[in-house]
Amino acid sequence: MPKSNFILIEQSYIIRKGLISLIEKIPNTQVISQIDNIKDIDNIQNYDPDFIIINSNLIDKDVSDYLSKNLENVQVISLSKDHNTSFSEINWIENILLNETQNSILKKINKLIGNRISNMPQRYTPDEISEREADILRNIALGYSNKEIADKLFISTHTVVTHRKNITRKLGIKTVPGLTIYAILNKLIDLGDTK
Amino acid sequence: MIITKEVKMADLIHMNYFALSVLNRFGIELGFGDKSVEEVCKQNNVDLGFFLDIVNTFVDQDYFPKKHLQTFPVKLITDYLQITHNDYNDSNVPEIEELIEKMVDSNQTQKDNIVLLKKFFNEYKEELQNHINREEEVVFPYAHAIEDAFNSNKIDKSVIELMQNYSIEVFQNEHDNIEEKLFDLKNIIIKYLPQPKDVKLCKKLLHELFSLEQDLNDHARIEEKVLVPKIREMEEIIHKRFSEETKNA
Repeated sequence: MPKSNFILIEQSYIIRKGLISLIEKIPNTQVISQIDNIKDIDNIQNYDPDFIIINSNLIDKDVSDYLSKNLENVQVISLSKDHNTSFSEINWIENILLNETQNSILKKINKLIGNRISNMPQRYTPDEISEREADILRNIALGYSNKEIADKLFISTHTVVTHRKNITRKLGIKTVPGLTIYAILNKLIDLGDTK
Repeated sequence: MIITKEVKMADLIHMNYFALSVLNRFGIELGFGDKSVEEVCKQNNVDLGFFLDIVNTFVDQDYFPKKHLQTFPVKLITDYLQITHNDYNDSNVPEIEELIEKMVDSNQTQKDNIVLLKKFFNEYKEELQNHINREEEVVFPYAHAIEDAFNSNKIDKSVIELMQNYSIEVFQNEHDNIEEKLFDLKNIIIKYLPQPKDVKLCKKLLHELFSLEQDLNDHARIEEKVLVPKIREMEEIIHKRFSEETKNA
């Protein structure tokens, strides 16, 4: 599962520490930077955050412009005492209240992370196997025999068998239906392609 | 560690709680206090030698029972295997299906992936069913016929014909590896499936798959180490006796 990186912009040490301990309760999350003075906001450029949590009192026109200009792919969460303080120019994705319960905050963050991950583009070449092996696997999943694959790719049947052994060893999947599911999950083939 | 008749039944469960399913199949209920394996078996009318073989095969993969012929009848083994078949059909498989179904319902974002798993498991279920049918329709009746012949005074010619058409060796060779697909399914979930929203369901499913796998492995070991050697030995003796009887006739 990909990591979600957070940056906190908040003056209060106590609130920052509290938020960090909360966020890092969620697996695969990390607070990569904390900013306690809005003047240092330029520091953000040194990082590659997925989420920024910012105290809404710190936001003025300049900050708002800066955020919308520099951070296209970052989702901004406001931190405020009550609901009315949101600065309208920013596209808030969520608002966390200072008096909110732990569960309610965790729920909000979990939901944001879930949405982010399900919107992420899937990768097309799995890390586990080489490109050549992915070719072979694609053909196995499509239902071709060793001989057919050999003819298609201009290699010997023996080579196909060797590739198959390596694929099975690397993936820990032995059966053709299992390999087919792997191929579909990794977008090597489409569900509709299978024989 | 080999379980002997002196071991306390409770200690056996502490050692390997999966053995609970074995006890269940023998109709042994919990609450045995400090009673030994021998005492609990006696109380429940369970053949002690057979119980020890089954339970040791279960807890120790390398256990190999030594005496085949002297002890329990074949019917005990096939009855036990039959009960495990019933367990798969009535409990293990439906539970897994229900969990997968729940996952389909609760995962709107990756419904397609879970539906794939479901399809895969359905294929597996069919394979398992074929395997079970083959054993119940061919292997078990054959084993009973061999035992009947072995216990009878005179070897009938029909038994020899039966043995020419089929033998326990054939069963052992054709014994397909039904655990492979289950292994793949586990690995796909552990290693490659994007984490579904409901992680709890996914973990429960894995737990059930591991449990079914362990049971199937045990099932295969009982066949391989208890049933097959016993029948093979009987086959040999029947052949020997038949050739002696025909010589004398």
